[in-house]
Amino acid sequence: MMISKYINPKYLVVLLLSLSLFSCEEEYIPDTNLQEQEVVVEGYVEVGSNSNPTFVILTKSIPFISTIEPDKFTELFLRGATVTVNDGDKTVTFTELCLSDIPEELKAQVYEVLGYTPDSGAVDICLYVDLLGQLTKDYGRKYDLKVLIDGKEITATTTVPSFVPLDSLRWDDTPGEPSDTLAQLLVTIDDPAGVANFYRYQTATEGSGFIAPFNSVIDGEIFDGKKFDIPLQKAERRGGDFDPDSFGLYLRGDTVTIKWSTIDKAHFDFWNTRDFSANSGGPFSSYTRIASNIKGGLGIWGGYATEQYKEVVPFK
Amino acid sequence: MKHVVLLLFCLLSGAVIGQNKYTISGYVKDKASGETLIGANIVNLENPSLGASTNSYGFYSLTMVEGTYKIAVTYLGCEDQFFEVKLDKNVSLNVDLGEGVIIDEVVISAEKDDRRKNVEGTQMGTLELPVENIKKLPAIFGEVDILKAIQLLPGVLSSGEGTSGFYVRGGGPDQNLVLLDEAVVYNSGHMLGFFSVFNADAIKNTTLIKGGMPANYGGRLSSVLDIQMKEGNNKKFEVEGGIGLISSRLTVQGPIVKDKSSFIISGRRTYILDLAQPALKGSDFEGTNYYFYDLNTKWNYKFSDRNRLFFSGYFGNDVLKFRQPGRDFTFDLPYGNKTATLRWNHLFSEKMFMNVSAIYNDYQFKFNGGQEEFVFQVFSGVKDWNLKVDFENYPNTNHVLKYGLNYTYHTLTPNTASASNGEVDFSTEFLPKYANESAIYFLDDMKLSDKWALNSGLRLSLFQQVGPYTSKITNEEFGTFETAKAYTGFEPRFGLNYKANNNFSIKSGITFTTQYLHLVSNSSSTLPADVWVPSTEVVKPQRGIQYALGVFKNLKNDTYETSIEVYYKDLKNQIDYADNYVNDITKEVEDAFVFGKGRAYGAEFFLKKAKGRLNGWIGYTLSRTERSFDDIEDGRWYPAVYDRTHDLSVVANYKLAKKWDIGAVFIYGSGKLFTPVRGFFFVEQNVNLFYGPRNSARLDAYHRLDLSATYTPNPDSKKSYSGSWTFAVYNSYNRKNPFFINFDTETDFQTGSSTITGSKITIFPIIPSITYNFKWNQK
Repeated sequence: MMISKYINPKYLVVLLLSLSLFSCEEEYIPDTNLQEQEVVVEGYVEVGSNSNPTFVILTKSIPFISTIEPDKFTELFLRGATVTVNDGDKTVTFTELCLSDIPEELKAQVYEVLGYTPDSGAVDICLYVDLLGQLTKDYGRKYDLKVLIDGKEITATTTVPSFVPLDSLRWDDTPGEPSDTLAQLLVTIDDPAGVANFYRYQTATEGSGFIAPFNSVIDGEIFDGKKFDIPLQKAERRGGDFDPDSFGLYLRGDTVTIKWSTIDKAHFDFWNTRDFSANSGGPFSSYTRIASNIKGGLGIWGGYATEQYKEVVPFK
Repeated sequence: MKHVVLLLFCLLSGAVIGQNKYTISGYVKDKASGETLIGANIVNLENPSLGASTNSYGFYSLTMVEGTYKIAVTYLGCEDQFFEVKLDKNVSLNVDLGEGVIIDEVVISAEKDDRRKNVEGTQMGTLELPVENIKKLPAIFGEVDILKAIQLLPGVLSSGEGTSGFYVRGGGPDQNLVLLDEAVVYNSGHMLGFFSVFNADAIKNTTLIKGGMPANYGGRLSSVLDIQMKEGNNKKFEVEGGIGLISSRLTVQGPIVKDKSSFIISGRRTYILDLAQPALKGSDFEGTNYYFYDLNTKWNYKFSDRNRLFFSGYFGNDVLKFRQPGRDFTFDLPYGNKTATLRWNHLFSEKMFMNVSAIYNDYQFKFNGGQEEFVFQVFSGVKDWNLKVDFENYPNTNHVLKYGLNYTYHTLTPNTASASNGEVDFSTEFLPKYANESAIYFLDDMKLSDKWALNSGLRLSLFQQVGPYTSKITNEEFGTFETAKAYTGFEPRFGLNYKANNNFSIKSGITFTTQYLHLVSNSSSTLPADVWVPSTEVVKPQRGIQYALGVFKNLKNDTYETSIEVYYKDLKNQIDYADNYVNDITKEVEDAFVFGKGRAYGAEFFLKKAKGRLNGWIGYTLSRTERSFDDIEDGRWYPAVYDRTHDLSVVANYKLAKKWDIGAVFIYGSGKLFTPVRGFFFVEQNVNLFYGPRNSARLDAYHRLDLSATYTPNPDSKKSYSGSWTFAVYNSYNRKNPFFINFDTETDFQTGSSTITGSKITIFPIIPSITYNFKWNQK
C-alpha cells in the first residue's frame, strides 16, 4: 500500500543527489548472454460475476537490449505448446489462439480481456484459452497448470480464495491544493478476522482497459478483522509520462470501473515483489527478485476472486 | 584449556619468587594542555625489552628488581624525557611531555619505541591513528573524517563512494564495535553516511583493532574502533575552530580548577541548505531543509592522585525536512545519537588500576510524514544502560593482567509504524524488545622469554532476551526481566609473538567472537532507517573465528615499518534478506531474515614511513569474502557485497617548506559487486527485469587521487591567535567512479516500443575545497 511510497528510499536519493549537485550519468550496457532466454507464463483464472475466460500467454524473455520495437513483439509469443489446467475434478486442454486467426469483431473482446489497447495492430498476440469454459470456477478451488513446450515442462499452482467485497466507495476532495476537476477515491474494506486476505485492484476509465496502479496489492494482515478506509489510486501506465499534479486522481464526470480482487499468498507475492522491484533500485536498496510461482520459468499463474464496480465520478 | 590455566599459574607464581621488586607508576600527560597521553612508552634504556606503555587513561605501571635505572618516556611527536630512577621503594612518576624540537625543518619525532610496537607487541592487526595525523590528510569538502581515514588502512574497505561506513576483513558494517569514550555508537554516519559523527576537533585518539580482538572487548565479530575524546586543557583556555564550505566548527576548552579539573565543549553544524533557503522560497519545495550538528563535551575532576572522575557526552542529530506545499505533502526525518559516560579511575596501588564506567546511549530514528489528513509515523531505536568494571594489574614486568565485568540492558524498538487517515487509525503495535548482555573476561599479556610473548584471554558472555515478551512460537508470556531466550558465548583469544631479533617478529592469533545485536541492510551501505535487532528465539547470535598470521619487520633503524598479515575467518549465523524481500513496514524485520554462513580470507601488506619530511604509508589488501544461505540460490557460495579483490591506499605527507605542508592520498580498489540484470519480460504489457546470480558482476575499478596543501602564514608566531588555510582537491583527475547502476524502463504507447536504459551514476567529480582553521590560546 502507500506506506511504502512514503518510506521509499528513492526520496532520500533524489534529495541527496540534488544536495550534492554533482552527480552525473553515463550509459551502461551490461554483458548479456543471448542464449539465456526463459519461458514467461502469464495466466489467470478468475471467479466472479464479470470474470474473464481463463487464459495463458507464453512468451520468451528478452536479453538486455536497449530498445524493442513492436514488430519484434510478435516473435516473443511461443506457439505450439500444450497447455493443460486441472481444476481438481478434471484436466482441460487449452486452445491456442492467435489474433491473426480470429475475426475482427472477436479481437476487440480479446483486447478487453487483456486490458490492451490496440495502438499497434502489428503485434500478433497469441494465447491459450479455455475456449469452451470447461473449467469449474469456484471460490476456494485449486488450479494446477502444466505447460509442455520444446520438451520442457513448466508447472504452477494457484487458488482462488473467497471474495471480500468493497464495503463502500466514496469520492472525496483532492489532498493539497483544491481542485474543481479532480477527485480521489476512498473505499472501505471490512476485512474478515482470522484469515490472511490479500487484495489487488485495477482501474479503467472509458475506452481504456484495466491497468494496475504502481502499488496494486494490499496485505490485509495489519487490518485483520478491522473495517478500514484506504484511497485507491487511479492507475497510470508504467513507463509512460504522467502529470504529477493529477497522479492517482480521477477526473470528475468520468465513468470509472474498479476491478477489485482477492488473491492468494503466492499471487500476492508476485505482484508485491513486482511492484516493489519496479519502484526500487539505486544505491540504497538492492535489487528485488520477483517472486514467481512458476516452476521452470518466469511469470505468474494467478487466481482472482473478482468483482467490478462501475462509478461516475460526481461533479463538485 | 586446563593446560593453559596451569601454565598461567606456573608463570605467575614463578615470576614472583626472587629478589625484591618495586614499581614505578604514574600518568603521562601533554605539557601544554595537560591531556593524558594514550600509548606513551616507558622504557628501561639499559634493557629496552623492559618497558610499559600508558593505558587509555594515560596510566602506566612498571615493576622491576631493586636498582637504579635510566628511564625514557616517549610519545609520538613529543620530545623524549629521561629520568634516573632509584628503585628501592615504589616510585610515583608523573611525566609531562612537550612538543618535539624542530631542527632544520625536520620534526624529530621520538616514536622510535612506538614503532617498535610493530615488532614487539602481542597484538596483531591493531593500528593507532592520532587525530593530528588524520587532520593532515586531504578530505572531501575539507571535512576531516576519522572514519574515512581508517579506510586507508589495509584490511579496511570503504562501504561506498564518499561514505564513512566501513567493512573490516570481510565483516559487515554491523560487525564493527564503534566506541566513543566507551559508549557504543549505533549509527556513526551523518547525511546517509557521507560524514561520520566524530568531530575531529574533540577527538584525542583512535585505535582500530581488526585482528586479534583482546578479551576486554566483545559483542562484535569483526573489529573494534575505540575513540577517545579529549579531556580539555587543564592549564589554560583555548578556542579553536574552522570555517569550511559546508560546515563550521568551534571548540572551547580550559581549566575549571587549574591542574585539577578541566572541560571541553566542541560543536559542529552544516549549513549548505540553510544558505539555499532564499532560492527555495516560492519554489515547489519551499521550506525543505537539511542539516546536521554534533556536540561533544567532557568534564573531569582529579580528586587525588588515586581518584579521577570523568563525564563525557555526545549529542548529534540529522534533521531533514521535506516540504511540497502544492500537494500538502511533508515529511520530517530526524535521527541521531546521544551518549553519556561517567567514569571513575581508581588506583588501588601502583600495580592495580581500576576503572568503573556507567554509560547511557540512545539512538533514535523517526519519520513523520503525511499528506493532508493522512499522517504516517515510523519510529525505531536502541537504548542501552551499561555498567562496567575493568581492572588492570601489573604484577611484574612479565605480566599485564586485565579482567572485568560488563553488563548492558538493551531496549530495542523495532520499526513501529502508525498511520491515521481522518478518524481511522492503525498501528503495527510492535513492542520493544529487551535484553541483558553480560560478560566476564580475563586476559594476561605475558612475556614468556626474551623471544616469546603470549597474550591469552577468555571472555564468557551471556545474552538473555527478557520480557515483557510473548513468544511467537509457543505463545508463552514472559514478565518483566523474565528470560525468554538465553544464549552464551565461550570466546577464547590467543596471540603469540616470536621475536627473532629487535627488528623482526612473527605473530599469530586465534580469536573467537560472538555478536548478539545485528543490523541488516538491504542496501550496500547502511541507512539511518536500518534497524538494530537483538538475538531472539528467531534470530541466533552471529559467531566468528579468526585465524591470523603475520610477519613484522622494521628497517633502516626503524625508519620503515613493514608487515604482511594473512587471515582466515569462519562466520556462522550470518543474516541477510532473501532475494525477493519487500520492505514492508508492517512486518517485523526479523521475520524477513534468512540465515547462513560466511568465510573470508586475505593478505595485507603494509609499508609505513613515520619519520622525516616525507612520511606516510602504502597499504595493499588481496582478499575474498563469501556467503552462503540456504534460502539464497540454494546455498551457493557467492561473493559478499563486502568482497573487493584488490584494495590499495597510498598516503603521503610532505613538509615542503616552513609554511607549507602538502598531502596526497591515492586509492585503487576493485569495483563493487552487484547483481546484474539478465534480461526482461512482459507481464500485463509492462516491462519487468530479471536478474542474474547474486553479486555476479562488478562495477569498474575505483580509483582517485586527493591532494591537499596547508598554509600556515606565521608558523613561529608566539601570539595568542594563529590561523591556517587548507586547500584540498578531492578526486583531482576527475575520475568518474561509478556509484551505482540504475535501470529505467520506458514504453512509448504510440509506437509500441519499449526502451530500457542502464546508466552508471557518478556522484563525486573533482571537488576543490578551502577551509580556514584558527586557534586562540590563553597566554
